[in-house]
Amino acid sequence: MSHNLFAKLEESIKNRKDTFLLTITDHPDKEVIGAKALLWPDGDFCTEASPLSSDVKDHLIAQCSKLVIKKRSGTVKFLCNDSIIECFAEYFPAPLHLIVAGAGHVCEPVAEMGRMLGFFVTVIDDREDYANRERFPLANEVVCQSYLHYFRHVEVSEKTYILLLTRGHKYDVLSLNELLRRDHQAGYIGMIGSRRRISGVFEELQQDFPNESFDNLYTPVGLDIGAETPAEIAVSIMAEILKVKNQKSGNSLSAHIKKYAKMGFHEGAGKWNKCSS
Amino acid sequence: MEQMQLIKRTLEIRKGGEKAALATIIRTKGSTPRKTGSRMIVFPSGRIEGTIGGGCGEAEVIAKAFEVMQKNTPCQQRVDLTKGLFFEDGGICGGIMDVFIEPI
Repeated sequence: MSHNLFAKLEESIKNRKDTFLLTITDHPDKEVIGAKALLWPDGDFCTEASPLSSDVKDHLIAQCSKLVIKKRSGTVKFLCNDSIIECFAEYFPAPLHLIVAGAGHVCEPVAEMGRMLGFFVTVIDDREDYANRERFPLANEVVCQSYLHYFRHVEVSEKTYILLLTRGHKYDVLSLNELLRRDHQAGYIGMIGSRRRISGVFEELQQDFPNESFDNLYTPVGLDIGAETPAEIAVSIMAEILKVKNQKSGNSLSAHIKKYAKMGFHEGAGKWNKCSS
Repeated sequence: MEQMQLIKRTLEIRKGGEKAALATIIRTKGSTPRKTGSRMIVFPSGRIEGTIGGGCGEAEVIAKAFEVMQKNTPCQQRVDLTKGLFFEDGGICGGIMDVFIEPI
């Protein structure tokens, strides 16, 4: 892959745009095998130095449209001017946007883990001592701004995951007030807090919003794993975010398979026991 | 982003003037250890970066990658992992995957 094309791919992902990388994996002209191009869902197309013929290009775009709609990688094979062409289209999904509001203790491991898990991480706080690069070297973006202003203007979609870890319930109320009135709702909003704080927030918001508005609101935030320290809380929160993103139960994987294991997996059971002893 | 990491490495390797090949899983059927889009870089010494699942399937691809480096032309290799449960190399998958191997 050329530097130029790679730079374009990188930039596209950084701008949170879904992108497909196409590689010609079979073509009668051996020179063309391995040629690469980028394709965007809006139909934009960009090749390397040696451009593909316009016939091939049109066919490619048409053939890949199924994959673009399904948002998944795949290989397409088609006939173009009596020759068989095969192309591998690899889906590079735009990273999910994780917005962490409140740059306190818990925010630090959350921002770090968020990056580890491939999120585009924004940290936002209205205090300069907290929202700065020194504290969050790994975040993609550190914003020092009022919560109200930020949440009024930030782009929100089902690919946006928001954590409200602010220092007081009034900041949660004004953030939610902005977020819940949006046309596009976030995929996940998690709010940290005690029972008392949560009921305080709900009391203030309930008159203004129908019950469905709170469907994507997870509060208290995180999975029940007994998390105490900031790092443990971050694990609990990120585990819940993955559970929501991947639409899974959050149960132990062993829950289903344990009873089969006790009966012994057929031929492999003996081997497994030996390995573990 | 792991997906980008190995592609980025290929650029660095090329810049450094080193010879190597890039293997990418482009199609899978049934249960395979890694999914479509998984990559592995193979060097002439046999050293690898990344993985397409390990085991004898990977070894087949490494062998083919040497050819690709020598001839400087890309090729495809089909890896059949349906040989049997608890095969001696520990592979317990039951699928087939197509791997595209290209010179870097």
